[in-house]
Amino acid sequence: MSRRPGFVVYGLLAAFLLGSAAPFYWSFLLGSHTAEIAAQGVPPLLPGGHFLDNARRAIETIPFWKAVGNSILVSSAAATSTVIFGTLAGYAFAKLRFRGSNGLLAFVVATMAVPTQLGVVPLFILMSKLGWTGTTWSVIVPSLVTAFGVFFMRQYLVDAVPDELIEAARMDGCSQIRVVWHVVAPAARPAAAILWLFTFMATWSDFFWPLIALPPDNPTIQVALNQLQSGFFKDYSLVLAGTTLATIPLLVLFVLTGRQLVAGIMQGAVKG
Amino acid sequence: MGGVTRHLTWRQRLSRWDARWAPYLYVSPFFIVFAIVGLFPLVYTAYVSVHDWGLLSGKGEFVGLDNYREVWDNPYFLKQTVNTLSIFVLSSGPQIVIAVVLAALLDTQLRARTWWRMGILLPFVVSPVAVAIIFGSLFGDRYGVINHGLELIGLDPVAWHTDRFASHLAIATMVNWRWTGFNALIFLAAMQAVPRDLYESASLDGASKVRQFLSVTLPMIRPTMIFVVITSTIGGLQIFAEPRLFDQTNARNGGPDRQFGTITMLVYDFGWQLRDLGRASATAWMLFLMILVLAVVNLVLVRRIGSLGGDR
Amino acid sequence: MQTRNTRRTRLVTGVLTALTLAMTAAACGGDGDSDDSGSADGGTTTISVATFNEFGYEDLIDEWNSTRDDIKIEQVKVGTWDDAKANLYTKLAAGSGLSDIEAIEGDAIAAVLAESDAFTDLSDPAVEGRWLDFVVERGTSADGQLIGYGTDIGPEGICYRADLFKKAGLPTDREDVAALMGTWDDYFALGDKFADAVPDVAWYDSSGGLAQAMLNQVANPFESDDDVIETDNPELKAVWDAVTDNVDTLSSRNSQWSDDWTASFQNDGFATMACPGWMLGVIEGNAEGIDGWDIANVFPGGGGNWGGSYLTVPAQGDHVEEAKEVAEWLTAPEQQIKAFAAKGTFPSQVDALSSPDITDAANPFFNDAPVGQILAERAEAVTVQPHKGPKYSDILQAFQAAVLRVDDGSQDPDEAWEQFQTDVEALG
Repeated sequence: MSRRPGFVVYGLLAAFLLGSAAPFYWSFLLGSHTAEIAAQGVPPLLPGGHFLDNARRAIETIPFWKAVGNSILVSSAAATSTVIFGTLAGYAFAKLRFRGSNGLLAFVVATMAVPTQLGVVPLFILMSKLGWTGTTWSVIVPSLVTAFGVFFMRQYLVDAVPDELIEAARMDGCSQIRVVWHVVAPAARPAAAILWLFTFMATWSDFFWPLIALPPDNPTIQVALNQLQSGFFKDYSLVLAGTTLATIPLLVLFVLTGRQLVAGIMQGAVKG
Repeated sequence: MGGVTRHLTWRQRLSRWDARWAPYLYVSPFFIVFAIVGLFPLVYTAYVSVHDWGLLSGKGEFVGLDNYREVWDNPYFLKQTVNTLSIFVLSSGPQIVIAVVLAALLDTQLRARTWWRMGILLPFVVSPVAVAIIFGSLFGDRYGVINHGLELIGLDPVAWHTDRFASHLAIATMVNWRWTGFNALIFLAAMQAVPRDLYESASLDGASKVRQFLSVTLPMIRPTMIFVVITSTIGGLQIFAEPRLFDQTNARNGGPDRQFGTITMLVYDFGWQLRDLGRASATAWMLFLMILVLAVVNLVLVRRIGSLGGDR
Repeated sequence: MQTRNTRRTRLVTGVLTALTLAMTAAACGGDGDSDDSGSADGGTTTISVATFNEFGYEDLIDEWNSTRDDIKIEQVKVGTWDDAKANLYTKLAAGSGLSDIEAIEGDAIAAVLAESDAFTDLSDPAVEGRWLDFVVERGTSADGQLIGYGTDIGPEGICYRADLFKKAGLPTDREDVAALMGTWDDYFALGDKFADAVPDVAWYDSSGGLAQAMLNQVANPFESDDDVIETDNPELKAVWDAVTDNVDTLSSRNSQWSDDWTASFQNDGFATMACPGWMLGVIEGNAEGIDGWDIANVFPGGGGNWGGSYLTVPAQGDHVEEAKEVAEWLTAPEQQIKAFAAKGTFPSQVDALSSPDITDAANPFFNDAPVGQILAERAEAVTVQPHKGPKYSDILQAFQAAVLRVDDGSQDPDEAWEQFQTDVEALG
C-alpha cells in the first residue's frame, strides 16, 4: 500500500521548513554585510558581498579551527559514549527483569530535574581534585552518560525490540552481550542515531561549563565565538559570520548521518 | 526431584551468572558516572542550602530552613514561578502537538525524505549567540522586524519586552523554534517502528488517515509520548538560556520587573549576582520539587489520554 | 543479511577506533601544560592575564614577550564582564583555576574585597603615588592592603550630534556647546529647547545612562561610608526625580546596550550622551557612517567618572611574585598610554594625564576633537567620588531596573521607587 503524500503534506512541511531555516539564513545574511547594516533593525533581504571578508576576520580574531576541532572531539566522544551506555542501560531497564529496576529508573529520570547551573561549583571542585581542570577530560566526562539518553533508549527499546526475538536468541544459546549485539543494536539504530545527533549538538552548544573548565588557549567553539563579542561595541556582522562558519561542520555531519535516521520499511518487516 | 544435586557445567554456570548480573552491569556505567559528576553536586547543593553560604565568603553557620523561607518571601519568587509555568505551557503544549503532526507528515513516502528530516533539525545548528541576536532583532520593541511588519499592515506594535504575556510568547517561540523539529524526529523514529500491517488492516476496515493516526499511531507510540512529555516538562520548567538571551538589560534577570524571569534565572541571580549560594541552592531544590510534582501529574494525564485513542 | 551485518560491524568498529584514538589524543594533548595558573618550563614562567572587553593589552604583551625570556605573558580574553565575573566567582568559590592576574571591574571590586580574602597584597613603595587618589582608595581593602592596581578610568565629557544641533538651531562648535551645559539644569533646559525644535529626536541616549552619570557625582548614593545601606536619602531621590521627570520629554526610553539602543545610533535616535573615554569606541562602531559626532569639554556638575578596572593577583596562583611584576608593568603610565592609543582606555595614572601622548591625542571621528586633552581636563574636574560598598552593584542594578520600569511605562515613578526600596531590602 503506498501512501503517496499530497500537496497538503508537502505544503505544510515546506512552511515548517521555511520557519526553521529562516533564522539560519538570516544569520548568514547579516554575516555577509558590513557592520553598520547588520546593526540596523530590519535587515535587507539579499546577501551583501562581505561574507568571506567577515569570515576571514573571525578566523583571525579567535583560535577558530582549534576550537572547532575541540568541539568536534568533545561532542563526538560525548555522543558516542552516551549512545553506547544509554543503549545498554536502556535495554536493561526495558527488557531485563532485575531487582529494583523500577526504583532505579525513577531515580534516573528524577535526576534530570535538578538544574545544572548550581552543579558548576561542586563539579569544578571535583575536577580540580581529580586534576582534570584545563584538560578536555573535564568537559567530556560529565557528558559520558546522561539520564536523558538512558530514558530515551529505554522508551524506544520497550516496543522496538520484540520479546520473541530475544527469547529465540537466548534459546539459541546467545549470551547477553551477543543478544545486545545481534538483536538489540540493529533494532535501536534509528533511535541511536537520533540520540547521537542530539547529544552531539547539545554538547556543541554548551557554553557555560566549557567556559569555566577549559583553558583559554584550548576552547570549544561556543566559547571562542563569544570572544568575538569583546568590548562594548558589538560587530554583529563579524559575530554572525563566525557563527555561520561554525555551523558548516554540523551541516557536513547532517549529510553524513542523515541516512541513518531513515529507518527502513524493513523495520516494520521484522515484526511481520 | 528432591535430593538430587544438579551438577552444572562451567558454561552453564557462566550463562546463569551472565543472565543474573548482566542487567546490573549494563546500568552501572550510568550510575558510576552519575555518582561522580551528578550525585556529588546534588548532595553538595542540599548541604549548602541549609547553611549561610556566600559564593565568595564561603561556608557560614547552619541556618536550617531559613534560606527556603527567605526565598519564599522574596518579592519576585511567586512572580517568577508563574512566569515559569506560563512559558512552560506556551512552549511545551504547542510543541508536542506540532511535533506529532510533523512526524506523521514525515512518516509518508516523501521524495527526498532525508533532506526533509534533516531540514527540520536546522534550528539546532544555529549557535546560541546567533539566536540571541536574531530573535532580539525580530522581537525588538522599537526597531524590531515583527513590529515593523505589524506597522506596515496597520496594526499596533507589540511591547515584546515589556508586556508580560507578550514576552512569554516571544520566548516560547524561541524555544519552540529550536526544539520542535527534534521532538518530531523522536516521534518519527517511534512511528517507524509501528508495523505497517496494522495500518493496512485499518484502512481495509475503512478508517480514514486521521482515524488511523488517532487509533493506530498514537497508542502505539505511547512510551515515546510519555518520554517526550516528561522530558519537555522537566526541560520546560528549567528554561534558562532563552529568557536570559531575550533580556537585553545588563542584569538579565528577565526584564526590569522580572516579567519573564524564570526560576532557574532566580537561582543564577541569587548565586552569581547576589553571591548567596545558600539561597540559590534552596531555590534549586524548590524547583526540583515543583518539577517532580508536575512531571507526575503530566505522566498521569498522558496515560489517561493515551488510552482514549481507541482501544478495541 | 550477512552483508549488512559485516558492513555495519566494520563501520561501528571503525568509528569506535577512531574515537578512541581521538580521545587519547585529546587527553594527551590536553593536559600537557594547560594549567591556568602559570607554568614553569625550563626557566620560563608563563603568566596568564584574564581580561574582558578591551583593555588594549595586545601590543603591550607582544612587546614584553619579545624582550623577556624569563617571563612570558598570555592573555585570556572574555567578551564581557558578566562572563568574566561568572568565571572569577566560580573559581574563587572552588579555590582553584584562576589566572595569575585577574582583571576586576571597578563597580564590583568592593564586593570582592569585602567577601573574599583570596588575593595578594600588592603594596609596594615603587607604585606609591602612581594613581589618582580615588583609584587607590577603591583598590584598597578594609585592612589597608592594596589589592588592585588601577588600569583605566572613565572621565566623562558630553558627546553630541552637531548636525542635529544645527537642525535645532543650537550652536554646533564644541566650545559654544560647552558653555551651555555647565549644570544639570542648563543641560535639561537646553534639552527642552532641542525637543521643541526637533520633536522626534530624543535629547539623550537613555535614562539609564543619565542616571549613571548623575549617580557618579553623589558621595553616598546607596551606602554610608560604613557600608550601611541607606537608599532613602535625599540626594538619591533628587537624582531619581531628575531622571523620571524627564522621561517623557527628553529620554529615548531605550535600555542602554539593548538592540534598540544600538539601532538608535543609526536611526537618529538621540542627540547627546555622557561620554567616558571607552564610550568613544562604542559610538564609532555603532554610528559608523554617521557624520556629525563631536565631543564637548564639559560635563554637567563639573566632572564625573564612569568605569575603571583593576588588576589583581589571586593568592591561589603558583607564581605570585612574577604576576605582581607583570601587573606592575602593565599598569605603569607608559603602558597605559599605549593601551589608550590602542583601545581608548583612559589612564588612571597621574603621570600619564600630563603626558603629551594624551594631551595631543585627537579623534577624527569626533570632528578631530582633542579627546586626550578633553578627557584629562574632565578627569581633573572630578570632585566627588561615590562610595562603593559591597552591595553597590546589586543596588545599582535594582535602581536601573526601577528606571527602566518608568521608561517602559509599566509603572509610574512613585510605584517604581517603592519597589526599588523593597528590592533593596530583599537583597539580604
